[in-house]
Order: sequence, then C-alpha cells, then structure tokens
Amino acid sequence: MAAVTAEVREAVVKRRGHPSSHGQARFGFAMIGLSVLFVAVFTAIPIVASLGLSFFSWDVISTPEYVGLENYQRLFTDGPVLKSFGVTLGMALAIVVLQLTIGLGLAVLVNQRKLVWVRTLFRTAFYLPLLASTAAVSIFMGYLFDYKFGVVNYYLNLPGISNVPWLTSGFGAAATIVLIAVWQQIGFTFVLFVASLMSVPTDVLEAAQIDGAGGFRTLFRIKIPLISPTILFAAVVALINAMQLFDQPYIMTKGGPGSATTTVTIQMYQKGFQNLQFGYGSAIAIVLLAAILVITGLQFLAARKLVFYQ
Amino acid sequence: MTGMNPPGGSLARRTLLKAGAGGLGLAALADLAACSKDGGGSSKSLKMLYFGEQAQATQLQNRLQPQISKLDASIKFEISAINGTDWNDFLAKVLTQIAAGTPPDIISVATEGLQLMASKELAVPLDDYVTKDLDALKEYFADIHPALVESMMYQGHLWELPDSFNAGNMFYSTGLFQRAGVVPPSADWTLDDFETAATKIAKFKGINAFGWVVRLWGSWTSFMYANNANLLEEGKYDGGDWLWNKAYAGDAAAAGRKGGWKWGAPTANSDATVEALNYMIELTKKGLSPSPDVGGGGTLQGLFASNRIGMSIGGGFWAGGLTNAGMKNGSFDVTMFPKWKSQRHLFGAGGYAIFKSSKKKDLAWEVLKLLVKPETFDLVFPGNVTTPGRKSLVTAARYAKTGPKHWSVFYDTLTKHPDTAPIPAPPYYNALATALNQRTTQAISSGNAKAALDGLQSDLEKAAGAS
Amino acid sequence: MTESTGTLARIGRITGVAVLVIAAMIALGPLLWTVTTSLRTPAEAFSNPPQWIPLHPDFSNYGAVFDRIPIGRFFFNSVIVTGLIVVGQTVTCTLSGYAFAMVSFPGRSVIFGIFLATMMVPLQTIIIPVFVIIRYLGLSDSPLSLVVSALGSAFGTFLMRQYFMQMPRELGEAARIDGAGHFQTFLMIYAKMAGPAIATLAILNFSGFWAEFYRPLIFLQSQDNFTLPLGLVGLQGNLGTGSISVVLAGVVLAILPSVLLFIFAQRYFIAGITAGASR
Repeated sequence: MAAVTAEVREAVVKRRGHPSSHGQARFGFAMIGLSVLFVAVFTAIPIVASLGLSFFSWDVISTPEYVGLENYQRLFTDGPVLKSFGVTLGMALAIVVLQLTIGLGLAVLVNQRKLVWVRTLFRTAFYLPLLASTAAVSIFMGYLFDYKFGVVNYYLNLPGISNVPWLTSGFGAAATIVLIAVWQQIGFTFVLFVASLMSVPTDVLEAAQIDGAGGFRTLFRIKIPLISPTILFAAVVALINAMQLFDQPYIMTKGGPGSATTTVTIQMYQKGFQNLQFGYGSAIAIVLLAAILVITGLQFLAARKLVFYQ
Repeated sequence: MTGMNPPGGSLARRTLLKAGAGGLGLAALADLAACSKDGGGSSKSLKMLYFGEQAQATQLQNRLQPQISKLDASIKFEISAINGTDWNDFLAKVLTQIAAGTPPDIISVATEGLQLMASKELAVPLDDYVTKDLDALKEYFADIHPALVESMMYQGHLWELPDSFNAGNMFYSTGLFQRAGVVPPSADWTLDDFETAATKIAKFKGINAFGWVVRLWGSWTSFMYANNANLLEEGKYDGGDWLWNKAYAGDAAAAGRKGGWKWGAPTANSDATVEALNYMIELTKKGLSPSPDVGGGGTLQGLFASNRIGMSIGGGFWAGGLTNAGMKNGSFDVTMFPKWKSQRHLFGAGGYAIFKSSKKKDLAWEVLKLLVKPETFDLVFPGNVTTPGRKSLVTAARYAKTGPKHWSVFYDTLTKHPDTAPIPAPPYYNALATALNQRTTQAISSGNAKAALDGLQSDLEKAAGAS
Repeated sequence: MTESTGTLARIGRITGVAVLVIAAMIALGPLLWTVTTSLRTPAEAFSNPPQWIPLHPDFSNYGAVFDRIPIGRFFFNSVIVTGLIVVGQTVTCTLSGYAFAMVSFPGRSVIFGIFLATMMVPLQTIIIPVFVIIRYLGLSDSPLSLVVSALGSAFGTFLMRQYFMQMPRELGEAARIDGAGHFQTFLMIYAKMAGPAIATLAILNFSGFWAEFYRPLIFLQSQDNFTLPLGLVGLQGNLGTGSISVVLAGVVLAILPSVLLFIFAQRYFIAGITAGASR
C-alpha cells in the first residue's frame, strides 16, 4: 500500500493549499450556515447546558445547587462507574472491529457478483436488520437466545453441543450483546462500503488488471486505499456509536449479570433519570465525551498515515 | 413549583452564574422554562399523566369530560397516556415535563414511585380533602382494603387514592399439572408441596417447572417475604389516625394501621434473606427453574402461554395478560403463594395523586373522586390487566371470560393473610431496583448468594445515605 | 500455471458465494423467525423446532394489531417525519459537507471539530435541554419537533465531507477557469457527482429515524402524533399484559413498507452510484 499511496499523496499535496480568497470564505460560511444553525440550537447549546449542569447537584424538582468539581471527584473514586468505562471500551472495540471487517468483506463479495438480482438480494439481506427498531430487536433476540427455549441453543443441541448461557453468564452476555449489535448495525458499514467501492473509477481497476494484479492485490493495493476516507468515516462513526451503547444491554440484561454489561450510558442514565442525580449524570457524560474525543483524535492521527484523499 | 425553592430564585441565579459560561447556558434554559411555566395557555385545561395506552385515555377523557364541565364549564380535561416500556420510561417523561415547566395536575403513580414522589414533595397530601369529603368517600373506603390505603401513606399523610393492586400469587398451568399427575395446589400449600410439584413437572423435556423474573415485585422477593425476611428494616410512620378512626372505625382489618411504611436500615444480607435467594439458586441447580428473565416479564408470559412453564408468580394482571397472550380460560389457574415460614405475600398498588404545582387543585380533587368510582375502573383498565382495589368489583362475572377459576385468591390475599405488605419501595426506589437487578443476576450466574447480597447491602447503604 | 490460477479462482468464487449465503442466512434468520412466529397462534408460537415455513398461517395477530392501535395513522406520521428529515438533511449536509471538504475559510477545522464533538454526547444527556428548547419554540407534541431538531447533522456533514474529499479537485478548478462561480461549480459539477453519497445518507437516515423511539417518547403527547415505534409499544400493554405474538406482528408491519421501499429505491441508488463512477 505504501508505495502507491506515497506516490499519489505527493501529487495530492501539490494540488492542495489554495490561497483562501475573501469571496471563498464568504461562500464557505454561507454553505455551512444552515447546518451550523441547527446543530448549534439543538445539540451544541444543550451540550453546553449539560457541561454547566455537571458542576451542580440537581434532581430536576428543586433548584440546582452549585457543587464545583464535586461530581468529577466522586466519579474518579466511583468503582462501578469506572468499571463501566472498561466494559464500554471492550465491547465498543469488539463491535467496531467486527463491523468494519465483516462489513467490508461482505461489500467486496457482493460487488463481485455480476447478476443484478443476486446483488439486490444480498444487499437487501444485509441491510434489513438496520430497519428494525432496537427495542424490537431486543425483544425477539431475547427469545432466540433464551437459555432453555431459545432457537439458537436448540440448533446447537442437535449436533450434541450443550446449552450455552448466552445472556445469563457475564462473558456470554457481553459477547452476545456485541454479536447482536453487530448483526443489527452491519448494514451501516455495508451500505457505506458498497457505495464507496462502486465509485472506484473503472479505469483504475482496468489498469491494474492489465498490469496483472490479482484479486487480492487489487483489493489491498488499490480499492482499499482509494476508499480509505470512507473507512475512516465508518470507523469514527461506528466507534462513537458503540461507545454510547445503551438500548441492547438496557433492554436485554439491564446491565447484568452483575455489572458485566453495564455500559457508561447505562450508568449515566441510572444516575440521572433513575436516581435523580442529573448533575452527576452530566459529569459522567462529559467524561465520556472526553474519552471519545481522545479516541477519535487518535483515529484521525492514525488516519494521517493511512488515509488517502484524491 | 412555587414554594419548593424557599430561599428564592436570585440565589439560584447567582450560583448558576458561578459556573461561568456553562452555567449561563443553564440559566438561560431555566429562564426559558420559567417563561413557559407562566404561560396562560394551559390554564384552561386539567392535565393528567398516566402509564398506559392512549386509546383508553381518550375514552376515559371523553367519559369524564361532561362531569368535569359540570364543575367548571371552561375546563378541558386532557389525559396523556405514556407509552413507555417500563416505569423508567414513565419517570423520564414526567421529569422532562417538570423540567420544561409543564407538569401535570394529576398523575397516576404505583407503589414504586409513591415515596419518591412524596419525599420530593411533588404531590400534595390529600388529608384535608379526604376529611372534608369523608361522608361522600365512606362508600369508597368501605370498599377498599385498608392495606392498600396504608400503602399510599407516607409520614402520616395520604398521598394517593388507590384504585388497583397486584399481589404476588402463584399461577400454574392446569394442563401441565394434569399431565404430571399433580393435584391442583390448595390455598394452604407449603414450599415442600411446591417443590414436589415442580420436581414432577420438571421430568417433561423442554418444560420449566417454575419460571421467574428479576425485579422487585413478585421475584425471589416473594420467597423472601414468605421467609419473613426483607431487604430493608420494616417500620411504620406514626400518624394516620385521622383516617383510620374515621373512615375505618370498627374495621378489624384496619387495626394496627399507621401512617405509612417506614423503610429503615438495609437488611439485604440477613440470614433469612440470603436463605431465600439461596433457595432460588438451589432450584436452578436441581433443574426446576432456568436462569431468570431480566426485565418486564414479557418473555416469561409468552412461554407460560405456550405451556412451557409449570408455575410462575403473577397477580390479577395475569388474568388479562395470559388471555391476551392466547391462553384459553381454564388452561391456567391461580393459588396462594406457598407457605414457608409464613404465607406472607407482597403487593404493589396503583392510584392517583395531585401535583403540587397544579393551580387547580380543588378541581383536580373532584376528578380524583371520579377516577376511583366503580364505573371508571374498566375504562382505565379494560380486560383484567390489573386487580381492582374495590372488593365489590372482584366478582365471578368479572373473571367469567378470562378465568382463572380461583379468582377469589386475588382479594383473599389481603383479607386472609393480614401480614401481607407492599414491596419495599423507599424514596430511593430506583437505586434499589437497579442494585437488586444487578446483584440478583450476579448471584444466579455465580451461585453465591451471600457475596451478592453483601454487595447489595453495601449498595443499599450507600443509596440510603445519599438520598 | 494458468490452469491452477483458474482452479484457485474458481475455489475463491465458490467460497465467496458460500460466505455470502451463510451471512445472508444469519442476517435474515432472526427476521424470518419473527415473521413466521407472528403467523402462529400464541399457544404454539415458541415451540421448537421453529416453523420456518408457515404451512398454516394464522393472521389473527395481525387483526389484533389493527384492532388495538391506529397503525395507519402512526405509519402516516412516520412517513412524514422520516421523509422531511431525509430531504432536509440531504440539503443541509450536502452544503456543509462540501464546504468542509472543498472550500477554505477561516476556522474551518475548528468548526468541523466542534461538529464532530457534538456526535459524542449521548442523547439521554441532552434530552432535557433539547425539550426545553422545543417547548420554547412552541413545538412540543408536534411531529415537527422531531423534524426541526434533526435537520442539522454532524454525522451527515461528516459523511458528505468524506465523499467530497474523494473527488478530484481539477474539475472544479477547470470550471472556475471557465468562469463558473463558487455555487455554480458546486451545483453543476460536484453535487451531480454526489449521487451515491446522497443516496447513502438518505438510506442511513431513513433507517435511523424510521426506527427511532426515544425522542418521540419524550417529545410527543397525543396519540394522533405518534410515530410507529412509539405507537407499537402500546401493543405490549399495561404491565406487559399484551401478547408477544401481536407485538411481533406489529414489528413485521413496521418493517414491511421500508423493505419494499428499499428494494424499489435500490435501482435509483445504484443508478446514482454508477452515474457517479462513470465520470
């Protein structure tokens, strides 16, 4: 990959860095105006409010009381909350890695199919789970993965495998929730990669074929570098989403057994909406934000070496 | 929320400003909320929030509107049903409405949230209203078991008029009992009888003898109550004589009733409590019960309805629940929870409260009285999805369509087992429920009840201290 | 040499197809189980082996869905809300994504960084302030509240930016030399090439907002305004006393229209992509 990308990047660098004219700046601001307005009002301001709230003790019902950094001090000595950061990180990494590799693999395989209806069939299949609401998915997955009556264990029993405690053992529950999240979200990376792979210019691929490059060489040397901006996007968004994992563990295991699937967002929700400690809940959210920010920063840093823009 | 922040808003504003920019954002939002709070648009409507389905809410609204119009022709009655999946969705919605400055006038709250609501002074005590209208309410109180009324009291005051309850009885599949050659359990059966029946049923492949759900109501907690144990030290607040002496004068069932349940120091790792949870682990080890279902019990209900579960804990709501799930009348029945050290049951109740911030409290009180009328009950809860709090409504005719045959068990639980008590739901109920879920699943997956309950004990001590 | 390469290629192809088929079975299996279970009577719904082909379909669960909730109304609301969000975000995100990728202006990377950061806060944290703002705008209990608060999207902006960054800059420069203005260059050259990206954004937004539960739960009051996922919860009944088979029938009814839409829309999706690729 390095040889190709280095060469192309040189060409890219030459093309970059236009002097920013006054008119261009005005045009830029006008173009982002609508998005900035809506994001500011409905996301940025609420986040600032949430940040402010993290310095208060507030139960919604009474007046907020200023407590300085107390919520943060409490957080860093709160064992269960700290543990939830570990649980979240572990599950999130597993989800992202599986989602990216499986999604990319399936996208490549589907794009190799020549018949239109076959491609349509597979595309629809991998995309469908995305359409079901997480609450609905959690309901029927609960039945499928039931220890005694579940369909999954029924089929495992046929060749003589004994019942697997999918949702009722600590590691099992975390792993099962990861699998279910990947199952449901695979359509996300898949759709992104299908579109991206299809927009790889055919002339580039033909040139590679003339040079005698095989399928794997074309994939790793040409296709993947060319769609690397999309891969970066998928990795960043998938990780941000996975770090906020909430619905599946909340509905299926309530964070258990024990605290094996208690993610940060579950802790935050419990502290805020259930225990009426909204200030503390906000502090947890702000620390989560900081953690995601750091990880995303690392992703972009790594991307400087790996991602290639035309 | 007038009167709830005594030192005045200016202090609050100053503390808000201390936080700098972040605080400013919050202050601005608080102002927004304040503006809308004083908005006059809502003053012509009486708002009620309840946990249920909107179709019923609309029907109820239309039925009560004429009667409310008689009281005040300009008032529009608006009921919002909150379509949440659980109590937490309901709470999230209520809190958001309070934060946004649009609290309801009337709210339906179950035992789970009663002490939370009362301790936060979200509602007003109904004492004066009840005293004033005692004559009109004589008929109501005569029909409602005093245990239900007492469960709606906190610190000597009455916070809600109850209309429904569910006690943790034992449901069983008549088909599976017959197949296993087990005689239908009598009302005074024991834990040994329970285990004998379970062992016989467990012989069938693909059948669970006993299924249960991890939660506070009707979980292993039912075994705990029958073992004369609890998660918290039991006590009662003084007071309440104003009600007992007048509304329940001469009623033996009201003897010893006081001013509401006072949940004291945690006792989650007491010997008897550990023994109860250990019993559940033993059931699992003996193959009589699978690992429990976490959450609302929907999975359990589906499995029970398809005759895969021999016995499970349920209340009056399962008469409608199992019928809705497709079970035929007669294919299930109910009996008392088996006797261990005692045959004490647990229950949860539902009712209506008036929000403290309401500007139309007197009118809200009139509506409360309409809500607990006998003819209102089936509008709110059609199809036996809960047990009526009024004894006169628990009749053979009511259960003729759905079953169970021994429907009288539902109300007998209160009358024949006078030690039956509400679930332990202190003001910090939510923290308790979270910790209970976590520690129960921990105990079942690790097989160590003592360690898990030691953990629960410390969780509860922390939660009790924080509240 | 060539022969062995041919054999290898064939093995590779067969393995590829096998992997696809197995993956498709895993993807569709749980959904198929949901469909067939919703077609069984509740009493036999959960017996194993599962009945993959409904030989004696029982439609009473579907009847129950229509009896118990105004599903047509919910469907209508969902279509309007999801449709407006999809269209709205296509406009806002295409504009801002292009600017962040192709136009230099002061503070570009800082603003983009702030945009990204807004994605990192869980919705539950900010729902109260968001609801306060919704109320202030007089939009509470209106389906429009779901639309307006979703019109700006860091996710969509980021997605469009990444696609625009894959596009060659020479085309725009050439157009500029020919005298085209900034906006003209964007509209006539790049927006036309953004078909696949817009289609991707539309598809992902559609699935995301179609199944959304939490914001409708908080924002909406009256049943007339409910969207499908919120309305379907009503099937679960008070204290979970509804029938799970009916709930599953509701889930199937909610997914079905979007499946049809997806299959139908794929042609345009693919057409857009190929148009973009054959530049």
